[in-house]
Amino acid sequence: MPQVLHFDELPSVAGMLAKQVTRVRLPRLGSAPAPRTLPDRRAVVTSHRQDPDRLARYDRVCGYTVRDEVPASWLNVLTFPLQTALMAQPDFGFGLAGLVHVSNTMTLHRPVSVTEQLWLSAWADNLGPHRRGATFDMHGEVRVGSEVVWSGTSTYLVNGAQAPAGTTARPVVEPGDDWPTVRSQTWRLPADLGRQYAAVSGDVNPIHLHPATARLFGFKRPIVHGMWTHARAVAALAGALPAAHTVRVRFAKPVLLPTKVGFAVEQTADGHRFAVVGSDDRPRVVGVVEPAQKG
Amino acid sequence: MAVRNAVIVGGNRIPFVKAGGKYAQASNVDMLTATIDGLVARFGLAGEKLDEVVAGAVLKHSRDFNLTREAVLGSALDPHTPACDLAQACATGLEAVTYLANKIRLGQADVGIAGGVDSASDAPIVVSEPLRRALLKANRARTLPDRLKAFASVRPADLAPVPPGVVEPRTGLSMGESQALTTAKWGISREAQDELSARSHQRLAAAWDAGFFDDLVTPYLGVTRDGILRPDTSVAALGKLRSVFGGADATMTAGNSTALSDGAAVVLIADEDEARRRNWPVLARVVDTQVAATDYVTGNEDLLLAGARAIPELLERNGLTLADFDAVEVHEAFASTVLATLAALEQDGHGTVDVDKLNVHGSSLAAGHPFAATGGRIVASLAKVLSEKGPGSRGLISVCAAGGQAVATILEAV
Repeated sequence: MPQVLHFDELPSVAGMLAKQVTRVRLPRLGSAPAPRTLPDRRAVVTSHRQDPDRLARYDRVCGYTVRDEVPASWLNVLTFPLQTALMAQPDFGFGLAGLVHVSNTMTLHRPVSVTEQLWLSAWADNLGPHRRGATFDMHGEVRVGSEVVWSGTSTYLVNGAQAPAGTTARPVVEPGDDWPTVRSQTWRLPADLGRQYAAVSGDVNPIHLHPATARLFGFKRPIVHGMWTHARAVAALAGALPAAHTVRVRFAKPVLLPTKVGFAVEQTADGHRFAVVGSDDRPRVVGVVEPAQKG
Repeated sequence: MAVRNAVIVGGNRIPFVKAGGKYAQASNVDMLTATIDGLVARFGLAGEKLDEVVAGAVLKHSRDFNLTREAVLGSALDPHTPACDLAQACATGLEAVTYLANKIRLGQADVGIAGGVDSASDAPIVVSEPLRRALLKANRARTLPDRLKAFASVRPADLAPVPPGVVEPRTGLSMGESQALTTAKWGISREAQDELSARSHQRLAAAWDAGFFDDLVTPYLGVTRDGILRPDTSVAALGKLRSVFGGADATMTAGNSTALSDGAAVVLIADEDEARRRNWPVLARVVDTQVAATDYVTGNEDLLLAGARAIPELLERNGLTLADFDAVEVHEAFASTVLATLAALEQDGHGTVDVDKLNVHGSSLAAGHPFAATGGRIVASLAKVLSEKGPGSRGLISVCAAGGQAVATILEAV
């Protein structure tokens, strides 16, 4: 049985994140980094009332139409404070600051209205070695009553970290390498887009906010949140989105702000495949959208 | 060529709310898209290509030059569905219905959507005229010094943003100020205005309670009923309000004038044969429409009484009198607009409209008046009222608009 970390309301990310940034672990000279672990723990909010005003602001920043049926990625945003709360626990092996978001998969099992009260939870597992360190999965689940309406998984890479001996990560189903290349849209991403998205999503990770704070983590300029790019791509599909759908994305390279990126999309047998492409013609984010499997 | 029947199949709107309220974060495109999608869901039109969608907004950002097409592209309709924006101030929605119905009658379209949207919350703010000219000049300049020189004539006061004006450009009077002149000229009493307003609220509340709007409205952003509606208001309560328009013996208050509102409304219109083939409800036929205008600029006539010109022309062409209608909808821009319009018709020998037939489920005073959305709201509601009364029942609509204009339309249940 996992331990349950129960919250009456979604915790604030900013405070937890500030603590973690000041707690960045520096490798000790002359000693190999100790293997890290993931506690068997779930963070839960049993009844969350959504804020239509905040949803509308989120919709605007991401390019979604403001409507009662919420975007799948909005539900991911709602579980994000719980993910952060898990990482803020002292026995959690990794801090949020410095994590590299590798991929995300989420499924909206049925349309969810902004008026519905939600049960939200998050937990981490699947720690395993990676050629550049270790990866783990952060899961989220949203229920209305006992019905699971949304589920999602983000895979994070911790550069240079060591997974416990003998572990292997379950491979995550990622979009393939055959992404579309013909750009049908150009998006102009302003310098403050990271701050705009931080304000509506609560993800105030400093790498997204300002050149000075991004430099602390080795980026010349702030990088846009991967989940913004994800959301913008799904918003671009607008009316073509099935009512219940799965979105799988891989974050290939960071998108430095400000910039212009291209969007390429093509129809597949049962959905869409897309790529967000930089001026060097190399993909930044690739993804697929397909109808959700009935389960 | 034989003219076909264009029929109202159904409608959808979102609840209307006061400006700056629950929809403050929603744009015109958002509200119109959500409203179209509500209609699409109700009639199972997802993925379908319609022949045309026509709508408009009065308070419109320049970026929304293709507002309706953008809404279609964001909706569940097939992206091959064409769309067009149309504008005729507060009569936009009714003109949109006329445009589409005429195309259907001529065989240029079989199925389409007409309506309108307005957000008084998300209204465009513009820069002052000197600053706007300077910005355009700087944009054309090729060198930095030229660019800077362009701003030389800008004064500090020019930097203040200019909120949207709802004044008539030629008279400099707001709608309320213009209507106050009309109210005084026609001797419309405070009591008569408050009585009409209270009745509007009571009737709209009763219609909500009776489930009349169950198949005409979809909730939006947690709002399930019109936000301006005060079911428990009364003539006594309205009588306590301070007057807002007019001079010393002013009679117009916030209670008998429409509030600035946000909302959207659309109507599904089809060729009658096509509607029957699809087993759709055939609520009412769009019979005829007349537009008229008044000479209001010099004060000869009244800004909002063009309905009293449009209606007689429409009646004459169709060989009808006011007595031939089972329901009459006169848009409640202000309570006194309705009363003065009826008084003008009566003075011209057209008789009057029985209170039991006038705005039977309430109108804009209670529902709110998101300018371009009002036509769609009235057409869908009236078509349903006529359909319930049975084939052959007739309805008359009059919607006044800025610029001294009005549109009048006849619907008939089939």
